[in-house]
Amino acid sequence: MQDKDTLTTNAKDVIDEGVEKGLSRLTPEKISKVINQVLTKETGARFKAYVETCMRCGLCADACSIFLSNDRDPRFSPAAKVKQTILEMIKKKGKVSKLFLKDAVRIAHAECNVCKRCSMYCPFGIDIAYMMLLVRRICHKLEITPLYIQDTVNSHSATMNQMWVKEDEWIDTLQWQEEDAREEFKDLRIPLDKDGADIMYSVIAPEPKFQAGLIYQAAVIMHAAGLNWTMPSTPGWDNSNMAMFTGDFEISGRIAKAHYEAAAKLHVNKIVMGECGHAFRSVYDVGNRWIGWTMPPVKLVHAIDFYHDLLTSGRIKIKEKYKKTVTLHDPCNVSRGRGLHEKAREIVNILCESFIEMTPNREHNYCCGAGGGVINCGPPWKNTRMVNNREKKEQLERTGAKVLIAPCHNCHSGLEDIIEYYGVEMEVKFFGDIIYEVMEKEIYQKRRLK
Amino acid sequence: MKDEKSWDWHSGKKEIPVKEWQNRFNWVEEPYVSPDGEKIASIVNTDEARFSVCVNGETWENNFEKAWSLKFMPDGRLATLVSNDEEWTACVDGVSWETRFDYTWDLKFTPDGSSIAVAVQKDGQYGMAVNDTIWDRLYENISGVVLSDQGTSAAVVQADPLGQGDIEGFSSGIFCAAVNGVAQQEKFMNIWDLSFDSKGKQLAYSIRKNRVDYSISRGSQPWKKNFQFSWKPEFIDKENSVIAPVRQGGKWFLFKDEAPFWNKSYGQLWKLAIHGNGKKIAAVVSDNFGKWTVCENDETWNFYCDTIISDLFYSDNGNLLIAVFKDKGLWDIAVNQKAWNIRADKLWSPVVSRDDTIVAARMEKDGVFYLVVNGKVYKEYFDMVFEPQISPDNDKILLKTMKNGIYSRQILSLDKVL
Amino acid sequence: MHSFIHFIMGPMVWISFMIFFFGVIFRFLKMFKLINEKEIFIYTYMSLKYSFRSIFAWLIPFLPVSTRKSPVFYSISYIFHLLLFLVPVCLLSHVLLIEESVQWSWFAFNDSVSDTLTLVIIFSLIFFMVRRIVVPEVKFLTKPSDFIFILIVGLPFVTGFLAFHQFFAYRWLVIAHVLSGELMLILIPFTRFSHMFMAPFTRAYTGSEFGSVRHAKDW
Repeated sequence: MQDKDTLTTNAKDVIDEGVEKGLSRLTPEKISKVINQVLTKETGARFKAYVETCMRCGLCADACSIFLSNDRDPRFSPAAKVKQTILEMIKKKGKVSKLFLKDAVRIAHAECNVCKRCSMYCPFGIDIAYMMLLVRRICHKLEITPLYIQDTVNSHSATMNQMWVKEDEWIDTLQWQEEDAREEFKDLRIPLDKDGADIMYSVIAPEPKFQAGLIYQAAVIMHAAGLNWTMPSTPGWDNSNMAMFTGDFEISGRIAKAHYEAAAKLHVNKIVMGECGHAFRSVYDVGNRWIGWTMPPVKLVHAIDFYHDLLTSGRIKIKEKYKKTVTLHDPCNVSRGRGLHEKAREIVNILCESFIEMTPNREHNYCCGAGGGVINCGPPWKNTRMVNNREKKEQLERTGAKVLIAPCHNCHSGLEDIIEYYGVEMEVKFFGDIIYEVMEKEIYQKRRLK
Repeated sequence: MKDEKSWDWHSGKKEIPVKEWQNRFNWVEEPYVSPDGEKIASIVNTDEARFSVCVNGETWENNFEKAWSLKFMPDGRLATLVSNDEEWTACVDGVSWETRFDYTWDLKFTPDGSSIAVAVQKDGQYGMAVNDTIWDRLYENISGVVLSDQGTSAAVVQADPLGQGDIEGFSSGIFCAAVNGVAQQEKFMNIWDLSFDSKGKQLAYSIRKNRVDYSISRGSQPWKKNFQFSWKPEFIDKENSVIAPVRQGGKWFLFKDEAPFWNKSYGQLWKLAIHGNGKKIAAVVSDNFGKWTVCENDETWNFYCDTIISDLFYSDNGNLLIAVFKDKGLWDIAVNQKAWNIRADKLWSPVVSRDDTIVAARMEKDGVFYLVVNGKVYKEYFDMVFEPQISPDNDKILLKTMKNGIYSRQILSLDKVL
Repeated sequence: MHSFIHFIMGPMVWISFMIFFFGVIFRFLKMFKLINEKEIFIYTYMSLKYSFRSIFAWLIPFLPVSTRKSPVFYSISYIFHLLLFLVPVCLLSHVLLIEESVQWSWFAFNDSVSDTLTLVIIFSLIFFMVRRIVVPEVKFLTKPSDFIFILIVGLPFVTGFLAFHQFFAYRWLVIAHVLSGELMLILIPFTRFSHMFMAPFTRAYTGSEFGSVRHAKDW
């Protein structure tokens, strides 16, 4: 185990080209101008109340898995992150040094998952994640956002998807998955642009890019459940949104607009989205709000909710329960973010023979450590992230389960990193993986006719 | 060209059984109906990895490894994108284009049917093809494909290559608009919302100049003024001016040629609707967070909905301003500020008669489809209703429906509906 | 001297209460003005039901997980905040003073109870102070002003306690007691003491977002 000081020094030593180049271009005038603009023009009563109401009692500390992972180093408590960033900016009226900003980028982008767990531990409910996002907003405007996540946002802005997936690559991938899945159901389709379908299924760009098999599985599930569904061939198919995590609210708004307009153009009843948490947050209560849509303008259903419905209504039938002992990771953005944790448990119990709870759980679960755009800051920050995820690792190990269900892409990748880095013997799975494995591969309507 | 006068407006009901197609093919994909309602077509699977198109029960002679994006053109021809031997092209009424591509998508046509356009990829390079002719120059990437009513094709293209994770290269501006394949000079960090003038000659669009400054560019001439953001611009005043929704100080304004045009600002302002070269201008606006209405010539409607206004357009004569909206989770239509109150689960943008007296739409409610005319729901319901048409003399409605596997085309006299 | 004592025990008490009262109103007006100008969406997501759900949940001792993580601090803090109101309001000599001037009176603790409770308050404050020095994550957040705040809260109680027992300099202690009490009242609206009336709002907003939008608990 590394000692405290080396940990912090290591994190301080991270060289992120995006941050370094950005910093080298900054002038003191630009720094104070941007900070003051954001702090005075872009904040309001909430920010003022949070800053003036915090009693620095430190109770938020225990909420933060990054604080716990760093042996309770006081620099990592949520309120300490505010103290070391925003409060200092206010105090110095924006006249902060480049060195300070370098730390601020690290704190806001790599040492906070904006998971909002701390607002459940603050007696006043102060939303520290909101303040960390403000720091990121400042970094965005100063152009010192970490390189990898900035590249992702650039991709979003140019292609409306996260991974520079070109328009033809998207459609081609769907058609390829459709063709492959016909091995199982010879008339299976991934209907493209089917006007008036009941469901528009949306995914995040890493699916067509690296994990096309997930689209295959989703298609099999949709087909077996006998649903009237479609996927858009045009941009708007990607529900993810890294811009919301870099404070690029403008691009974040445009992404949300593209997503909902794709659904409105297809006249669907609802959008069903794959197993992703941050994407849910982005289209459920972030991107849409910037546009002025108080709630999603088209009904939005997360995969957990959707699978729950399929399994409890009998549209998908289980052949035989999954044998291995499983545990469940509650993704912040759909448990603390949407209260889907009970439904997730019901799904686990329908699908699996033996289930071990992870503690803490439900709204109180620890973030996977990858969330909030932290994993998207890429390789330069990976070691820091792994160190910051020690508490999560211990939480995983305590379950003793061999299979870890994580119904979220970000969590999935983050947990896999933890497992590999710390040598935990666990296999991470999506609900979709397990459903696909244990389901009756028969079309619902045909089964009913029997 | 859609020539409604020549259509059959007299025969009562014509039927085509469609359900039996299921027995002839491995599967039949969703049906499409021609504007005149005389033809119904589907992509069908004839054999393993063999697809064709079935029109009124007749299958095209040729078949394909893949086919998708089936669409009837306004003149009644049927177009689709097809692939054989891993090469893609467009196919119209069973006749494929000569040119082959590595991929084709985003099939578009002009209202008169004289131009058919697709986005194409060939050897990893991107562009468009119009009427079987590919752009002279292809690019690294393409997005935002548009086709003017006259057949001018345009898109946002990536003019320079970009390495993985090259955020510096991105910031230098590598995107430009390309018209008929010719790249415009000025490159920007981002370009969106390509908008042609009504003659198909000039292009205006939203641009991002740097990390935080957004603006509008007319052709290759960006506005000098910067904004916090912008949405799709439109040409007005005989194509001499450009108007656009722009964001300033956290509020949305309508600007004309870099100067404020409307007085009021909003929490949101977008989806411009234009009539008569700008005599009438309307936009979807939100002045109270989460409450949506329409602003016409700087005056807001006496109307609110809480979810979304998805379409806003003027009738051809400009007498009707029509909004398709959703309130409390259900879809509806408002004509000149007045809501129909039909509360649909799904609702399509309506069609309007030439004299503005009839507005007809199709909707789904409780799992069945209806025709709605001037806010009145026609009594009969169907498994599917396709886009209705109104006769040139404004007294009949062409209703195209599907029920129990039988497609039917019927002419309803207006008094029967209203 | 006499007229000074008369002033601080008479008009100044009223002035302090007025400053407190109008200060709070001023703060609220400012907050609502700011919301109307910049964050109008707050009203959309504020839900009365979930605001109260959250506030009540946090008033129930040891219901919130956070309170169970730091039971000692929470117990002390809970009792301290309760007594901070109860002791001055229900102190017999305060009640008598008020009865004398406006003929209102209410329940009062007997003196020995008040005396003990005052000691509880003082010990709580000492606990807070020690905690700020000893617990690393709290120490890291602590600024000198935090100790001044503790001092300001403590002064009226310490002086009151000493004066009651008439250990020494009674007159001066009473003066110090009255002045420090007034000082605290005046400072509440304009310092972080304002968490007294701001915290329900921040809690309510978070409670609303968690409850009505995210369908989750926030405790």
